[in-house]
Amino acid sequence: MTVKQQAQPTMLGMPSLTVTALLRNVFKPLASLKLTIICLACAMFIVFVGTLDQVQIGVYEAQLRYFKSFFLYFTLPGSSFRIPYFPGGYTLGAVLLVNLIAAHVARFKFTWKKSGILILHSGLILLLIGQVVTSVFEQESQIQLDQGQTKNYSESPYLDELAIIDQSKPDSDQVISVPSSRLVKGQTISLPVSGLQLQVDESYENAALINPNQLPSPNYPHVRLGPMAVAVAVPKTYKQNERNQPTAAVTLLKDGQAVGSWVLSSGFPQPVQFKVGSDPFSIVFRPKRYYRPFSITLEEFKHDRYAGTDIAKNFSSKVRLVDPSAHENREALIYMNHPLWYSDLILYQAGFGNNDQTTVLQVMKNPSRLVPYIACGMMALGLVIQFGMHLVSFVRRRVIT
Amino acid sequence: MFSSLIREELARLPGRWRRIRFFDVPFRSRLLSLALLAFSLAACNNESVSVYRIPKENNQVSLQTGSGNLAPPPPANPASWSKPDGWTEKPLSEMRLGSFEVPGTNGESADVSVTAFPGDAGGLESNVNRWRGQVHLPALEGDQLTQSCQEETVDGVPTMIVDLQTPAGAEKASAILGAVLRTSDRTWFVKMTGPPDLLKGQKDNFLELVRSFRFQSTAPEQNQQQEEPPPSQVKSTNDR
Repeated sequence: MTVKQQAQPTMLGMPSLTVTALLRNVFKPLASLKLTIICLACAMFIVFVGTLDQVQIGVYEAQLRYFKSFFLYFTLPGSSFRIPYFPGGYTLGAVLLVNLIAAHVARFKFTWKKSGILILHSGLILLLIGQVVTSVFEQESQIQLDQGQTKNYSESPYLDELAIIDQSKPDSDQVISVPSSRLVKGQTISLPVSGLQLQVDESYENAALINPNQLPSPNYPHVRLGPMAVAVAVPKTYKQNERNQPTAAVTLLKDGQAVGSWVLSSGFPQPVQFKVGSDPFSIVFRPKRYYRPFSITLEEFKHDRYAGTDIAKNFSSKVRLVDPSAHENREALIYMNHPLWYSDLILYQAGFGNNDQTTVLQVMKNPSRLVPYIACGMMALGLVIQFGMHLVSFVRRRVIT
Repeated sequence: MFSSLIREELARLPGRWRRIRFFDVPFRSRLLSLALLAFSLAACNNESVSVYRIPKENNQVSLQTGSGNLAPPPPANPASWSKPDGWTEKPLSEMRLGSFEVPGTNGESADVSVTAFPGDAGGLESNVNRWRGQVHLPALEGDQLTQSCQEETVDGVPTMIVDLQTPAGAEKASAILGAVLRTSDRTWFVKMTGPPDLLKGQKDNFLELVRSFRFQSTAPEQNQQQEEPPPSQVKSTNDR
């Protein structure tokens, strides 16, 4: 209470405060329990609305809009102007985190009696921080491999990139990756390579590739991919088993001079070769790639069924992992509950196709994947200590009486 | 150490500023500053262009025209042909680049289609055998199949012509006249189906159509983006 009295004086002629008192002063309003309740109520609201909206926009988009965002936005119809109307997951998480830390700084006095609560709250803080780290650094991708195929990259199941590849060096290629979200019609993007610029002439977030004969009329807005395919804009899809096919018409400029113009679609990820001066280049619109220092080869994919039925019993992928930098060359079997752990990645069996000739491995990278376990352990320990102490004192009192 | 640093910094501030702290300012200003902070954080959330090096990859694609000028839009249909007299043109569909009706006697008619697919479109053997299957003929292999075809060159393009007819005694007699033209980047199919008698009388017209094919120079082919690729048929192991 003494702190509060010190904080009361008017702006002018205020007594000087020690740093600790100053900190306490600053943290006091932030430590309000009302704020905690409001944040938890807001969190419940966004979880509720987000879960409902997931039906319409899918898990990935719902996470982005409701939980991995600072605000929920309302887009004015017929414009791209967005008005924030509610705090998003990041804001609520940040406020809760500050609230919790502030509560400790402002109110908490360390006594052995309250050590359980301290451990419990530290666990909670760790959990919140772990979630932030996860949502910022987590990387989810897939490797799709045909029998015998080798790949040294995985691909994003959601994101696309326009890759401009400089093939002029004999031993390696330089990839300039432009995220599809940066391709906005009418914009010119300066590429971080000397003198190169990318001009976006047209851009569709999602497009259908159709035969020119299928156009409703010759004037219907479209871009021409080739003699037998044109792309027309269609609404974005949020279905689990569908992928958007962003399509763009771009012009590459070198020192302000046009090098070439192309119409590219991630629905047709074939590289197109061209030259800048005398250097060979290629350009391709494709699912975003994450290159790895190792390669994976699919040796055998198995889809076992229960005898006499078509019901799946087991999916497994026998792969060969080769990492020259780590002198690694080994076989691994990936199947249900037995992912392959390698460097900071985990590879799970996720899908199959092409008459069981193709396997799809989910590649997860999450630097804080152990944090939730540690945090939950701490919270459990804190609870046990706190309630244990109460129990012991209670039993003691009973014995005495 | 950190707290002493703060103390030093605070001491350096002019007296007026030293006394102003976050919670001394009015509530509205506090709210505004927090909102500004949140907005600036939100603005940082943009994805950016990245550059990295990878080991050499083999990109087996056609070479595009050299630098300097913009690639012209590729022609809508890189081949042309002339319609034989007496045939009527029919509206084109998704697959058909050319479509004709050939009138016969007794109200009979034959249908002619022109289609094209990228690459070898599955190969000569599978396509001819597919046609053979349609007129209830057994599939042929290798040399046998080549011998059953008539080989020609149309505008410098190797062309195979087949004349197929249902075996004698078939329930419903029908025939197919087919031509497969293999250009550097795609395969063209010309196919005439109808009653055997009508096709026999129209064979010269059919050959006239096939021989009239002229291919535009496809040298600076933009890229092989002609057909919508098949949607990926990958399923999740969680699907039932």
